[in-house]
Formats: sequence, structure tokens, C-alpha cells
Amino acid sequence: MTAAASHSPPSGFLARRLQGLRVWWTMLVICLEERLVYRGDFVLGTLMRFLPIVTQVFLWTAVFGATSSGSIAGYSRNDIVAYYLLTMVSRAFSSMPGLASGIARSIRDGSIKKYLVQPVDYVGYLLAARIAHKLVYYAVAILPFAGVFLFCREYFPPIPDWTTIGAFALSLVLSFLLGFFMEATLGMLGFWFLEVSSIVFAYMLVQYMLSGHMFPLDMLRGIPTGVAGVSVADVVRFLPFEYTAYFPAAVWLGKVQGAELVRSLLVEAAWVGVMIVACRIAWWRGTRRYSAFGG
Amino acid sequence: MTRYLSIFLTFARACLVRDMTFRANFVLECVTSLGWMAMNLAFYLLVFTFTPEIGLGTGWTKEPFFAFVATGLIINSIVQALFMPSAEELTEMVRTGGLDGILVQPLDAQFLLSMHRVDFSAFANGLVGVGLLCWAIPRLPQPPHPVAILLYPLLIACGVAILYSLVIMLAAATIHLGRNQSLYDFWFYLTNFSRYPAEIYSGPWGGPLRALCTFVIPILLVVNVPARVIAQPLTEQGGMMVAGTVFAAGAALVISRWVFQAALSKYRSASS
Amino acid sequence: MHNSSHPRTDAPREAGEPVIDVRGLAKEYRVFDKPEGLMASVTGLFNRKSRVVEALRGVDLRVEKGEFVAMLGPNGAGKTTFLKLLSGIITPTRGSATVLGSVPWERTDDFRRRFALVMGQRNQLWWDLPAAESFRLHKEIYRIDTPRFERTRDELVDLLDVRKLLLRPVRDLSLGERMKLELVAALLHEPEVLFLDEPTIGLDVVAQHSLHRFLAHVQAERQMTVILTTHYMKDVAALCKRLVVVTQGSILYDGSLEQIVDRFTSHKIVTLDLDAPPDRAAIDRLGFPCEIRGPQVILRIDRTRIADVLPGILRGQGVRDVSVEDVPLEEIVAEMFRSGSTAGTDGATGAPR
Repeated sequence: MTAAASHSPPSGFLARRLQGLRVWWTMLVICLEERLVYRGDFVLGTLMRFLPIVTQVFLWTAVFGATSSGSIAGYSRNDIVAYYLLTMVSRAFSSMPGLASGIARSIRDGSIKKYLVQPVDYVGYLLAARIAHKLVYYAVAILPFAGVFLFCREYFPPIPDWTTIGAFALSLVLSFLLGFFMEATLGMLGFWFLEVSSIVFAYMLVQYMLSGHMFPLDMLRGIPTGVAGVSVADVVRFLPFEYTAYFPAAVWLGKVQGAELVRSLLVEAAWVGVMIVACRIAWWRGTRRYSAFGG
Repeated sequence: MTRYLSIFLTFARACLVRDMTFRANFVLECVTSLGWMAMNLAFYLLVFTFTPEIGLGTGWTKEPFFAFVATGLIINSIVQALFMPSAEELTEMVRTGGLDGILVQPLDAQFLLSMHRVDFSAFANGLVGVGLLCWAIPRLPQPPHPVAILLYPLLIACGVAILYSLVIMLAAATIHLGRNQSLYDFWFYLTNFSRYPAEIYSGPWGGPLRALCTFVIPILLVVNVPARVIAQPLTEQGGMMVAGTVFAAGAALVISRWVFQAALSKYRSASS
Repeated sequence: MHNSSHPRTDAPREAGEPVIDVRGLAKEYRVFDKPEGLMASVTGLFNRKSRVVEALRGVDLRVEKGEFVAMLGPNGAGKTTFLKLLSGIITPTRGSATVLGSVPWERTDDFRRRFALVMGQRNQLWWDLPAAESFRLHKEIYRIDTPRFERTRDELVDLLDVRKLLLRPVRDLSLGERMKLELVAALLHEPEVLFLDEPTIGLDVVAQHSLHRFLAHVQAERQMTVILTTHYMKDVAALCKRLVVVTQGSILYDGSLEQIVDRFTSHKIVTLDLDAPPDRAAIDRLGFPCEIRGPQVILRIDRTRIADVLPGILRGQGVRDVSVEDVPLEEIVAEMFRSGSTAGTDGATGAPR
């Protein structure tokens, strides 16, 4: 698609934008067609992804059954179910399957060269492609998601006020950007390391645990770090990972409110900014290194 | 039989030689699977900071539960090491015609197709499992019964056999469907249910789920029965479970063999 | 020596059972309009649209011990299907076949130990390991005892001059080197029957040549029965006396290499070298199809008339040299492929419908 776009280099800024828009639109249509062909597959696959949650829910139910108190780290059993389901929504925004490994591969096999030659911004192109993919994904995934959430509606607290919903939506958009730029930066390590798959795997491990995908991060509050008065949760709060799963879910459940909510959103936005800059630097230095040493 | 063993050892030797030529990769694979496992163990430790027991009155307190986890690690690492790599390759072999080369050899095709690759790095988790078991057993509320110690390896073997049968049937399905990217996913989602004690599946939804995963797809027998035998007091009901597991393992092997042969004969009559 | 057992229609068969005996062998398979996606595949289990493709339409073939038979045909003619059937990889729709007295698709271990199949486009050796490891595995699978294994291996390895390749990972070898080692692996258990499916595909001329020499030698020495499928006339000319031409699942021709020329061409090609470019009209007056390339004239002359016509032509002015040749085999076979003609088969050896 980029190849098609670059055949006739457009002149003015507006023309270039229009051309970009057309590329983007073509991409969107192709993605949509692809998804629709496999829609049965896709619905089945999306539903299957909820299966691990079923096990987690039963596990926590058993844990609640064995404790006298009705709440763990501020979560009732229903909260836990709702939490896991909401992290699925966060992950639908922040997870970027194949992004880092795709970038690393195109560096390794040399196909990145064409982005160095063509008047296309590689990161911009990837972002557009990813947005297209995600939009189409939501268009189709909304059905299985809605089904599951409707089925589990008793576990959720009453629908929150508009401010919270707005903050939730904002946190999701930011989590998409954060996930994208973190993974893109990771993929660009391919300029320096031949094999980034192990780095990507390590990132996934840390991400899985510290994003809150595995359990609500509030549960780490009781775990001491060794430094007096500082819990593991206090450390994790300063990392970007929690914004890709825990934070949007916590916002919806009303775990983060008021000034704390505003502060957290600002921190998330700051992390997005940091990752954008990191990504730019990685691209800039990486391509310079690449053209100096030859791919 | 000895011939099959010696062929298997030749396979294993060849795979070891291969793994050792890509030593860095081998170490990385060990490390990543260990990392994944360590993370899960950390999660279990976290869970036990909130509760003394998983499920009220189930007996799955910390040490028995870690014996359970260890059993799961051992069984899964055996399956991952011996059978998964070959099964994952099967679709590729159908596509490229490598399957033809297997079918002309004077050996059982199922044996060749399900055991020709050994992934030694997968044994890393099993070793940790053995270590964890050695840590947990002396700390159990009651020491394991001598009979239980005798039964344990047998039940591990049964668990492996049940999982092997599942792998084989999934592989047979991929011969039919002609693709396998979902094989591993499906495997993951299915075995996911066997990761925790069966007692957690209770209530209006859990009961039927437990019955389904015990009697229809006996995935809940895989880890639960050996772990229960070693980590919990022997009961009469436990005896029934042991007998049932041995039976289920045998039945699973027979059925999976039948399914696999059917898939192969379909391949034989359908391809050109 | 392999020409001694050429099976003509009327040849007596008291020499014993043929090694390969195929009667009315047919293979049809269904092609499904493959539904995309998992769900579609699942629903497709119950309701599938398909059509039947006839890969092989009732083939008869008898091959005696020690024969080296070439099967020639365009892509999709059914050659590979035929070899797969004889190897027992797939089962036929109709017809019967015995190889070494066994029905291939019963796949007894005893039968599978007595033949070998080599596919030019497929790799049987372990990709990441030296070939020596694959050979060891072969030894186990085919239960070759150690002295025999070592003797055979050394002999084959020396014949192909590949000893130095044995300890290198197969992935580091060239296509030609790999093919040589594939052949060694296939011959380790000293099969009585060897099926070669396009063994020279993609090889350079040198590698092709050394494979030809090797195959001819081993086949003659062991009195192996070989069926070779190929696209290359060179393979056929170098190795086989008997040629089977297959198109669209049927045998078009089964007979000797020489006879195909007699049977399918009525003319010879006469090339004249003249002193100077000739007068077109003078050449046309001879009344034969012709082509003029500078001082060279190429005539197609009916073979029954050659003896009568040639002296007259040679008496003409300025003929410096003359050659009389058969129509090249490639041309004949290509013509057969194109026409898909069903004429000219030996009554008993081919029964196309």
C-alpha cells in the first residue's frame, strides 16, 4: 500500500495528507474485508480468550470461600470478576500483537530499507495500520464482548457517572498509545540486537505481571519491598505497565477518583510522551546506525 | 518394543545434538520457560497471603498446593518435551509433503509422527517441579502413604497419557483442517482448566464444568489425581479416582489412536 | 543389461512374476472448494462442495526385475500420484497393484523395508544435523545390521564422493550435495525397488551428470528395479531403455526409447550445408517442408522416401555436408503432450481410456 502511495510523490502538504488518508482508507477497507471473511473464526477466537478468566474467577471464588472477610485488598468477589473482564477491554486497546517482532523482522530481513528510501514515515505508517486494525477489531469484537459483559452484568457495580466514563475512555485511548509506542521502541532494539524475540518475551512476562493482567495490583500493597514503609505496589505505581491493563479497569470500578484520578491520567499522558520521544530517538539513531553499517 | 525404544533414543540423541549446536537458543528457551513458571509461582504465593487455603475445607493449604503445582509442572514438561514439538510440526509436514516420507518407512506412523522431536529445554520446568515436590513433601500436614508413593509415578504416567491423547487428537484435527496456528492456543485454553484443584469448580456453573472436564474430556484427572494421592490423605473415594484415571488413560490412548488412524487414512484417500 | 527384460506385448513371462504389476489402477480425489476460516471448516464438515479430479484413469503396467523405467509427462499428468500409490502412501480408488508381491497400501513393514522413495523436492534428512546422524537413524528404522550398514554406506559414499560432506549440517549443503546424500540414505537398506520422483529437479548439469552415472552403476550392480519420473529428456536418455509417457492420468506410450521415434514420426530431419545461400524456389521444388538458415537448409523428409530422394539432392550443386537425424525426442514428447493423443500404445502394456 505504501508502495502504491509513493509511486507519484505528491507535491503540497495538503496533497500529501490526502494521499496519506487514502492509503489509510484502503488499509481500513482491506482489514475489514479480511476480518469479515474470518468472522466466525474471529468470534470463536475472541470468546476463547475469555476462558482463562473463567479459571481465575473460580480460583478467587474458592479463595473467598476460605477467608472470613468479604473483601481482599478492597475487592469483593464480584469486583474481582468485573476487574478481570475489564482488563480484557484494556488489553484490547493496549496489546499490540506482532508489532515489536514485526519491526525487528523487517530490520533483520532488510525490508525496512524501503521506508528509508520512500517518502513515508515508518512509525506513522505503522500507527495508521495499527489504528485501522484496531478499529476493525472493535467493530467485530464488540459482539462477543457485549455478549460476555451482558451475561456477567450482575458482577458489575452500577454504571458510573459521566466523568468516570470519560476518564475511562481517555485512559483507554492513552493505553493504546502507550502500548503502541512501548512495543515500537522495543522492536527498534532490533537495530542493535539481532534477535529481539527474547527481549520481547521478557517484556511480555513483566508486562503480564505488572500490568495487572494477572491480578489487581492493589493486592501488592501488603507486600513489603524491604525499604521501610514502601510496598511493591508503591514501586509498581511509578512504572508505565499498570496503565495498559490495571488502570482503566480501576477507573471504571471507582478505585481511582478525584485528584488521584487526574494525577494518574497526567502520569499516563507523560508516559505516552516519554515513549513517543524514546521511539523517535530509537528510530533516528537506529536508522543512522543501519545506514552506517549496512543492513 | 526394544527397537522402538532404540529408535526413540536415536531421535533424542539427534535432537540433543541439534540443541547443542544452537546452545544460546537452548539456554534462552530454558530461561524463558523458567521465567514464566517463576511468575506463576509468585502469583500463588501472593494468593496465599490472602488465604490459608484454596477453597474451604479442601485441604489445599500452601504446601499441598505447591505439591499440586509441582505435579503439574512435571506432567506438563514431559508432554511439552516429548510430544508437543512433533505435533506442532505435523501440519507443516502435511503441507510440504514430509508426511509422505514418514509413511513409507517401516515403522508405526503415529510413533514416528508424535515422537520424532524432543525439546530438551522443556525439561527445565520439570526439574524445578521435582525440586518443588521435594520441598513440599516433608512439609505436608501428613506424610504420604507408602501406597501413594508407589501410585504416584503410575498416575503421572496416566496424566501424560491423557494429555498425549489430546495432543494426538488435536494434531489429527489439524491434518483435517490443514492449519495449526490455533492448535497451540486451543491446547493452552484446554489445559488451563487442569491448572488448579478440581474443588474450585463448584456451584451452578462449576459443577457441570467439573463433570465435563472429568468424564468427557478427562483433563481434570491429569494433575488432580496424582497430586491428591501424594499430598492428601488416602480415601476410598480416592481409590475410585485412581481406578478411573487408569481407565481414562487407557481409553484416551485407544480413542486417540483410532482418531489419528482415521485422519491418516483420510489423508491417504483424499490426497493425490 | 536392463534391456534384456524389455516387456513387449508378446514377450513370454516365464521369468516369474513381474516385480511391479499394476492393473487398472485409478485414483480419484475430491477437491473441496476449501471454506475459509475455522467456523466455515466446521460447518463444512457436514456440507461440503466438492468435485472429483481423476489423477489416474486406469493404468496398467508391468515391470520386470532389473528394469529401469522412465515416466515422462507434463505437470499434473499423474506421475507422482502413481509413485505415491506404488509406495503405499495413498490408496487407490479402483484397480490393483502388487510390488514385490505385496499390495503397497497394506503397508506391511516387510514390504516397506524392501523399497525406497526419493522425492527431488523434499527433504528426508534432518535439516540441522549432519547426514551421518540421519543415516544412523535409518539404520535403526530399517534394522540394518552394523557390518552391512557400514559396508553399504562406505560404498555409496565413495561412489558419489561425498565422504567429506557427511559431518556437515545438511542445511549448509548445496542442493546437489543434498540430493546425493538423500540417495545414499535411500539406498542404505539396499532396496529391491527404487522410486525416484524428479530426482534431478533444480540441479546443475554437473550434478545431474554425476547422479546419472551413480544411478546407472548402482542399478546395474544391484539389479534394482527403478521407476523414475522426470521432466528432463537427458535423464531418460542417460538411464532408461524403457519409456512410459503419461498425460492426463493415462499411459500414452509404453515401449523402448528407439521405438517411440519410429512410431510417432514419419520423417527424418536432413540438414544440408551448402556453399552459398540457396535459391528458395529451387529448394521448394523438392517438395518437402523446409527451413533455410543462411547456407544451411533443413528438410523434413518422409522416412520411406529418404533412400530415393537423398542421392538426387546430394548430386545438386554445392552440397558440402549432409546429416540425417531423427526428430529430437523432446519434440516428439512435447507433441504427444500437446495432442494428448491416445494412439500408438502397445496393446497390453497401456490401456488408456
